[in-house]
Amino acid sequence: MTLALIALIPLLGACLPPLTTRSSRTVTAWAAAAPTLLALLILAAQAPAVFGGEVVRTSAEWVPRIGLSFSFMLDGLGLFFAGLILGIGLLIIAYARHYLGRRDPIGRFYAYLLLFQGAMVGIVLSDNILLLVVFWELTSLSSFLLIGYWNHLPEGRQGARMALVVTGGGGLALLAGMLLLGQAAGSHELSEILARGEEVRASPLYMPALLLVLLGAFTKSAQFPFHFWLPHAMAAPTPVSAYLHSATMVKAGVFLLARLWPALAGTDAWFVLVSLTGLATMLVGAWIALFKDDLKAILAYSTVSHLGMMTMLLGFNTGIAVIAAVFHILNHATFKAALFMSAGIVDHETHTRDIRKLGGLYWLMPVTGTLALIAGASMAGVPLLNGFLSKEMMLDAAAEATLAGNGWVVATLATLAALLSVAYSARFVFGTFFGRPRTAFEHPPHEPPPGLWLPVAVLVVPVVAIGLLPGPLAGPIVEMTAAAVAGPAGLPPVKLTLWHGITPALVMSVAAFAGAALLLLLIHHVERARLRLWRPEAKAMFDATVAAAVAGARRLSGGLHTGSLPRDLGVIVLAILAVGLAGFLGATHAPGAREVQPTGIPALAAWVILVAACAGLAVAHRNRLLTLILTSVVGLIVSLAFLQFSAPDLAMTQISVEVVTTILLLLALNLLPKTTPAEPGTARKLRDGAIAAAAGLGAAALAFAAMTRDFETISTYHIEQSKPGGGGTNVVNVILVDFRGFDTFGEIIVLGIAALAIHALLATALRGAAARRLDAMRMGEVSGDAHPLMLVVATRVLLPLALTLAAYIFLRGHNQPGGGFIAGLIAAIALIMQYMASGHAWAAARARLQPLTMIGAGVLIAGLTGMGSWAFGRPFLTSTFGYFHLPIAGEVELASAMAFDLGVFLTVVGAVVLALSHIARVEQRAERSGHAPEDAALPPGPPTAAPRIGLRTPAYGRED
Amino acid sequence: MPAALEIAVTVLILAGAFFMFVGSYGLAKLPDMMRRLHGPTKATTLGVGAILVASMLDALLVTGDLSMHELLIAVFLFLTAPVTANMIAKAYILRNRAERAALPPTGRPAGWATLVRGEVPPVPEGSIRP
Repeated sequence: MTLALIALIPLLGACLPPLTTRSSRTVTAWAAAAPTLLALLILAAQAPAVFGGEVVRTSAEWVPRIGLSFSFMLDGLGLFFAGLILGIGLLIIAYARHYLGRRDPIGRFYAYLLLFQGAMVGIVLSDNILLLVVFWELTSLSSFLLIGYWNHLPEGRQGARMALVVTGGGGLALLAGMLLLGQAAGSHELSEILARGEEVRASPLYMPALLLVLLGAFTKSAQFPFHFWLPHAMAAPTPVSAYLHSATMVKAGVFLLARLWPALAGTDAWFVLVSLTGLATMLVGAWIALFKDDLKAILAYSTVSHLGMMTMLLGFNTGIAVIAAVFHILNHATFKAALFMSAGIVDHETHTRDIRKLGGLYWLMPVTGTLALIAGASMAGVPLLNGFLSKEMMLDAAAEATLAGNGWVVATLATLAALLSVAYSARFVFGTFFGRPRTAFEHPPHEPPPGLWLPVAVLVVPVVAIGLLPGPLAGPIVEMTAAAVAGPAGLPPVKLTLWHGITPALVMSVAAFAGAALLLLLIHHVERARLRLWRPEAKAMFDATVAAAVAGARRLSGGLHTGSLPRDLGVIVLAILAVGLAGFLGATHAPGAREVQPTGIPALAAWVILVAACAGLAVAHRNRLLTLILTSVVGLIVSLAFLQFSAPDLAMTQISVEVVTTILLLLALNLLPKTTPAEPGTARKLRDGAIAAAAGLGAAALAFAAMTRDFETISTYHIEQSKPGGGGTNVVNVILVDFRGFDTFGEIIVLGIAALAIHALLATALRGAAARRLDAMRMGEVSGDAHPLMLVVATRVLLPLALTLAAYIFLRGHNQPGGGFIAGLIAAIALIMQYMASGHAWAAARARLQPLTMIGAGVLIAGLTGMGSWAFGRPFLTSTFGYFHLPIAGEVELASAMAFDLGVFLTVVGAVVLALSHIARVEQRAERSGHAPEDAALPPGPPTAAPRIGLRTPAYGRED
Repeated sequence: MPAALEIAVTVLILAGAFFMFVGSYGLAKLPDMMRRLHGPTKATTLGVGAILVASMLDALLVTGDLSMHELLIAVFLFLTAPVTANMIAKAYILRNRAERAALPPTGRPAGWATLVRGEVPPVPEGSIRP
């Protein structure tokens, strides 16, 4: 698993920097550098084997059924990219330490950076293509955090969102493409897919898979027409830009093209799609870069252009082009990161990145100037620097490419792009560092601390060194990487030399330099001409698209969800009916074999009451109070039915739920308008009645059919195993806390979430507009004594009794009807009585345990009980029980399930008390705004001592 | 002895049933709210009370032990029934204007608690409101 560690160490290490923010910034930087360094060392340890031609692999199963495995592979390409990512990452960490201001939360920055770094390394080391997609999306997410790091700036937020939408959306296409690719190759392991290139290209799935994969790669690598997100991502701090846009994020797309080259390349479709997209991107990016005034925007568009160049090379389908592409990836990473950091230094020292305001900085900061000059020259392709070599190879490959029979189209356009590249590089360097200073700086900018320029210098060293001695220095790496890209197809021999003789490429290069000089002389004329052309505004188009998508989604969901409960229920019930009918009509049927039991008088009477109550409900639904009473009649009859069929547990649960529900509804009714909505017409009533009747008859038929048949159910097992397996004779309770304990655990979590939602919704009801609406409500006449003495006394006397009962029901639950849920409801009712009788403020002031605490404690206790079984090497929620002899109480059974039940108990109490007390609180607020009975209506008697209208004074019912 | 017990149980059940019937009949037949209130209270106290005692004795007869659960039920019932009746009466006074006029004077400085909207003195910690 050493390989997995290379990706996992940065991911896990992301926790470190935020922990050290109390220490100095240097310590935080070290906390980020340490995991990176460690990962780099592990990678280096593997390097000799890879240089020796080995492919290191490691694999673990994850979700084998969908072909997702946790498998990693380190070959030449992976080593090359992982080295770039971690190496430049280290430099960026050092640079960011000095670049970020005192107010920037640096721990968070490094955490995001490490997350991103780990995800990036994961992409390049994944052997499983689905795992690759997982890491791919992780880079989209973490780059969103990085780009939006300065979240106080609107540009930062918008740029981050745009990058996420474009690259994340592309990631979805990539996922689909990878699934198709896996189908075509018959495996999700890269090593196998790459070996089956022929099969993949012959498969009918090749074309859709190729298109989807390319969509993913092109969005990530900012290829035309998706190039627009990259410049907007420049709102990020410069270290982020330097990292994401030189060596990592945008290179992921190029990496993917290289990775899948043996499987997907070699066809005409690949050539046309990839090389032409690359060519177009190269030209468009370079053209825009020439006219940008923001230093980082110039670099951003130049990055777009260079990415286009690499894409084009990979599209050429030749080994020479692959070598050129790999070589340029290396060279671009070095000079572009150096340039971004130089631009950051300029910004840091002069507080502007506008090239129109800069100039002459070379004399003020010679070190930075020299470094930027070298890196810029490399970007332009000046001889003796590494950029020159890969550009020559690119032109060479372009000269050989033919498009639609034409041998010169690609060559000419590539030369034009090279020309533009020379021009914007020259403008970048000369406009910033040479010429006259264009601004009078208040504090003349000076050389930055070494922490800022040293990382640049470290990157400029290879720029020069590779430029001078390409063969010995870069040769082995390029050869190893290119061989890994080309895979089984093999490569022509790699010759990296400075002088090839007078080749077409050299001629094109010279032409590019001459043309660039001419272009810069005429730049103002060209600019004027350009301004007359139509320039599409990508951000406006993107925003319009997003707005249209949002509006469309709103319309769609608005059309589906009208907010009409009858309609929604009607659709649901009709759907169920249709499914049931289809099942019924699609099979043969025989009557059940069981005999029907005779009906007794009590059962018949209960049935009549039930039917009468339901019919009454339908008739009297406008009278809400009556409806509530009739509903509770139904509930009571149902619990009687449970008793009749020997389910005392369910009966108890039903009754306690019934009580709580009735209290809740009574409280809620008070807040509802006193009028019911308008009655629908007869036609709709008939329609709804027909639906309801059909559903009712269907359910009855189904129940009848099920009950007249003998069939094996799981309940036999449950009943048999209840005592020996779960240690309790109450099967229902044993099922709840033991057999199906995981279900119950999930349910109490849901209950807790629901209670939290109630808390969140009603907590705002006492403030702002909602509070004003409550104040405006007239509650009718309000009793003079809100808390009648008799009620107060009775509930307080009942409290200990009811709590004792709850404890009793709880304790006996494992063997007799009862248990945590019922006990919880009873305890909750006992507590709610206090809230209702003595007022919310009185009760809340005396509650030692807040409902929210109870919910949290309940879920925690249940979860910890479940985890306790891990200590004994058993699965989650395995229960145990034992019998203990206590001196006085005698034989006592203790089951671990009881602790779990305690969790259930606490959650139920917390949730119910929270819901009811919140509604009661809202109620009180409305009540206080009501009006007292008029004095005229008072009975004759001695006048009261003083007009005692003081309910707003701090007494009962005071709201804090 | 068992025979005497059985007779006692029978009598108690019959008495309980009688009071329950009277309570229900009164609830249906009495002319107004305040008088109707008497019906259910008799049924719950006397009627259910008699049946609970019958149940206790019956347990003695069957198992030889006096069942104590019924006492708990009785406690709950005797505590809640009067309070319920009181609350219904209070609600009635509040809602019914004609009834208010007919209320007799309280004979104390304070008026009828339901009707006088006044400041409620805070309750000292751990005590019941005076």
